[in-house]
Amino acid sequence: MAVVTSSRKKAFNRVAIVSILLITLIFLSPLYWIGTTAFKPRSLATTVPPTVLFQPEITPFIKLLTKRVQLTKAYDPAIYAASPWYEQRIYDGGERILRVGPNIQLSQYPNRFMNSLIIAIISTIIAVSMGTITAYGFSRFKMAGEADLLFFVLSTRMLPPIVVAIPMYLMYRVVGLNDTHIGLIILYTAFNLSFSVWLMKGFMDEIPKEYEEAALVDGYTRLQAFFKIVLPEAVTGIAATAVFCFITAWNEYAFALMMTNRRAQTAPPFIPSQIGSGLTDWTVIASGTFLFLLPVAIFTFALRKHLLRGVTFGAIRK
Amino acid sequence: MAGVLDTSPAARAVTRGWSDLTIRNVFIIPTILFLIIFNIFPLIYSLGYSFTDFRASVNEPANFVGLQNFRELLTDERIWNNFWVTAKYVIVSVGGQMTVGFGLALLLNRAMPAKGLITTLLLLPMMMSAAVVGLFWRLLYDPSWGPLNYALGLGDLAWLSNADVALYAVAITDIWMWAPFVMLLSLAGLSAVPQHLYEAAAIDRASAWYTFSRITLPLVTPLLLIALIFRTMEAFKTFDIAYIMSTQPTTELISIKLYKFAFQEWQTGKSCALAYIVLIMVLAITNIYVKYLNKVKER
Amino acid sequence: MLRRNLASLVMGVAFTIAGGLQSRAQAEELTIFWAEWDPANYLQELANLYTAETGVTVTVQTTPWPDFQTKAFAEFNAKGDAFDMVVGDSQWLGAGSTGGHYVDLTNFFAEHKVGDLMAPATVKYYAEYPGNSGKYWAIPLEGDAAGWAYRKDWFEDPKEKEAFKAKYGYDLDVPKTYTQLRDIAEFFYRPDKKQYGIAIYTDNGYDAMLMGIEGAIFSYGGDLGDYATYKVDGILNSPQNVAAVDMYRQLYQFAPPNWGKVFFQEDNQAITENLAAMSLNFFAFFPALANKATNPNADVTGYFANPAGPDGKPQHAALGGQGISIVSYSKKQDASFKFLEWFIKDETQKKWAELGGYTCNKSVLESDAFRKATPFNEAFYQTMFMVKDFWAVPEYAELLTQINNHVYPYVISGEGGSAKDVLDAVSKEWVDTFKKYGRGG
Repeated sequence: MAVVTSSRKKAFNRVAIVSILLITLIFLSPLYWIGTTAFKPRSLATTVPPTVLFQPEITPFIKLLTKRVQLTKAYDPAIYAASPWYEQRIYDGGERILRVGPNIQLSQYPNRFMNSLIIAIISTIIAVSMGTITAYGFSRFKMAGEADLLFFVLSTRMLPPIVVAIPMYLMYRVVGLNDTHIGLIILYTAFNLSFSVWLMKGFMDEIPKEYEEAALVDGYTRLQAFFKIVLPEAVTGIAATAVFCFITAWNEYAFALMMTNRRAQTAPPFIPSQIGSGLTDWTVIASGTFLFLLPVAIFTFALRKHLLRGVTFGAIRK
Repeated sequence: MAGVLDTSPAARAVTRGWSDLTIRNVFIIPTILFLIIFNIFPLIYSLGYSFTDFRASVNEPANFVGLQNFRELLTDERIWNNFWVTAKYVIVSVGGQMTVGFGLALLLNRAMPAKGLITTLLLLPMMMSAAVVGLFWRLLYDPSWGPLNYALGLGDLAWLSNADVALYAVAITDIWMWAPFVMLLSLAGLSAVPQHLYEAAAIDRASAWYTFSRITLPLVTPLLLIALIFRTMEAFKTFDIAYIMSTQPTTELISIKLYKFAFQEWQTGKSCALAYIVLIMVLAITNIYVKYLNKVKER
Repeated sequence: MLRRNLASLVMGVAFTIAGGLQSRAQAEELTIFWAEWDPANYLQELANLYTAETGVTVTVQTTPWPDFQTKAFAEFNAKGDAFDMVVGDSQWLGAGSTGGHYVDLTNFFAEHKVGDLMAPATVKYYAEYPGNSGKYWAIPLEGDAAGWAYRKDWFEDPKEKEAFKAKYGYDLDVPKTYTQLRDIAEFFYRPDKKQYGIAIYTDNGYDAMLMGIEGAIFSYGGDLGDYATYKVDGILNSPQNVAAVDMYRQLYQFAPPNWGKVFFQEDNQAITENLAAMSLNFFAFFPALANKATNPNADVTGYFANPAGPDGKPQHAALGGQGISIVSYSKKQDASFKFLEWFIKDETQKKWAELGGYTCNKSVLESDAFRKATPFNEAFYQTMFMVKDFWAVPEYAELLTQINNHVYPYVISGEGGSAKDVLDAVSKEWVDTFKKYGRGG
């Protein structure tokens, strides 16, 4: 009997593995398609049947990084010959790069990408740190109305962002945080804080109190015990929380659009705006998406061990 | 406040360094204050406006109109339609995410090669910006130049222009994007189910269904509920994806309506009133969830 | 006494230095806000010339079309000075002027005779509010209107010509009336071959679909109401308008599949991807079609102005385009005025047209050089003298939502009863809206 079960189990296992592989392929196909579109010539981006085999090219990225306009008349062959190769690729596509004097004008993408990095990284650090200590506080100490406070913390994530958009906008104007990096950092921290507290509280609850108590007995202060005993135990949770916070801050769209004008603009509102000129150039949107996915994918892959082990909330049972 | 700490051995620590009371306050109060400033303040602000006919685009003072905005909204058939659409969307989208996500987790929850890699790859969709995802799925769905209908042999099926299909098309995209989130949480829950429980069940020759419903499910439920809370809240707020993908009346979610009131028509007073109605609804739903979650946790 | 004098002297010097620094910093940079599209890039190029001449940096700041209105008004409403000038939609004039967001340019108009320089329709719709008041709030910058692109090769195919004549009894040619437009659309509609009759606007997020419907309404001799008296009932739901809206619904039947959220990109794509015989679009988006690198069919793409109503008259078209206004919260209004003075000069306007901008300057528009510069400039030139526009009242966005709410389901899904029922319903809501804001009698 046991043999039958185990062989049946093995067969089931095999079926499961094959199906998960298939599903993964299906799941990733839109991504594969975006990724390849980022390297396609424009004319192959929207063919039916879809083009699978093609000579990859880097032109979409050149387009992404430069400010271009449609050619309204044929270009001068002499100017074409004298242009650097990347500018020639743009001419080939029926566009030209704008210049200020002799200098090529870059698109807003590089600048916005940097802003995105700065804002997402700093706000993630703050949200995770505050979330961690607050979760510790909630987890270890009794407090009047604790459940209500925790519900309040959660409720701050329930508001549709549009609800707070107008008052926020006016408030930011008054205090001069509009269109600043700090303004967006604070805003994204506020978004992520409730999530961060809730996630971290799950982890803190799972770290046995006995560890700290032993340390206290050994003469540590409560703070030392927190930093030297509790934090190392919570690394997994911190990593998982950081990944989620980073993803949210990195991709935020609505407020980035409303609250910034020039200095602190981030990349998400820029990528779709590339549909602006007469025809949708999917290759440019795809290349912008591709580059923009890289940091967050790298970050997630780097922390994946923690992430997989980590998103357990209160589920690690001893 | 002597009873702050419930563990007696640590009481001695109070005399060294910061007291527990100080630590608790220093750790918790800034966060709470921060959240109050960024949530309560705007809320009070909009509560005030919700009783006025204020329009932010016009340089005229706001007039107090009492409950008129609320009355107008609650008697407007279109608004009820928006809520109905939202409810349908939340159920389809969150239901789909939970099913697909949990299903994926069940399949993944076994010893297999490259498990970590596959799991991480599956997370990629949720790392993308919703606006871009919506844009690309619009292209995917397009019968004239998108690959989806070609790959599935669906011919001219007009996903997004068909009033009956559009909402499901948007939900499918949302499921694609967020099922991995549910998968991750479920996977964590599944891997935490003690192996010896399964072994015991095997010895008792329990049926697969029995094992699943009596051992696996109860132990994973608290985590699934947390996933459910967060996904429901997010689905209720969905804006970017639906707004970018379709403008059908059958996909006009409540937050799209809110956006139109607030930022296209600049009916600031009315939009604040609608925001309040939405907020109260979400609060009520979440409250039920949290109560239920606590009950499940206590078991 | 001496001490006080010293103190005030020091303060005075400090202020002068600070003020000097400040004013220099202010004079050096101007920001113009516009949507993200080619004309904005052309304007940046034009502005670069201004920088070369005067040393004043002018930045054209852009945002995607769907967010343009939201972002501009968010900034206005907060009385922000991030933008010195804005190239705003004609519908914004009401809110911009009555809300105090725009600087009154009436004196500037008189002083520089702007009214005589620019094409009359552009002055009327891009600059003046309220209608016929003689008050001006913007300088016409980018003229634009809806026109049509079509496949010359399909139209000129002898076999097609023969088949068309046999079926409809007249020669296949560029449509002169909406009835012909419909016939041709029907004729070329062959879904089994993945070929369709006509590509029209259907996006109801803002004013896209309405642009297409307006074109039909105006050419059918209808109007959206009396812009002076705010009378709507009997005008919006007139028999002409009912026929025009019904026509738009018929045209949608011959559009490619999944054509329910379509704006300028898709309509252009209908031509480049061999999907449709004819395609509605704003002239500002036709350069992409005339460009061989982006449109493989560039050589066989022709252009025509919006056709007339079924009786062959009148002929009108929906207005797009924008005027440039000075934002009243800007701290650099003087520098902005200087830029506008430069902008309206004839040489600048000529240069503007050369770079690809659609000048509203009468003499440039009428010049042969302009009319022959591109395959579609002639059609553009004709169109700019027959354009009409939507309401420009501050609550125009509510009017837009209301008409979209009713007309969109009718056009796309046939919901809401007949065209007459639909327009009656819109008319009722518009009347209520005007009542709410105390307009008209």
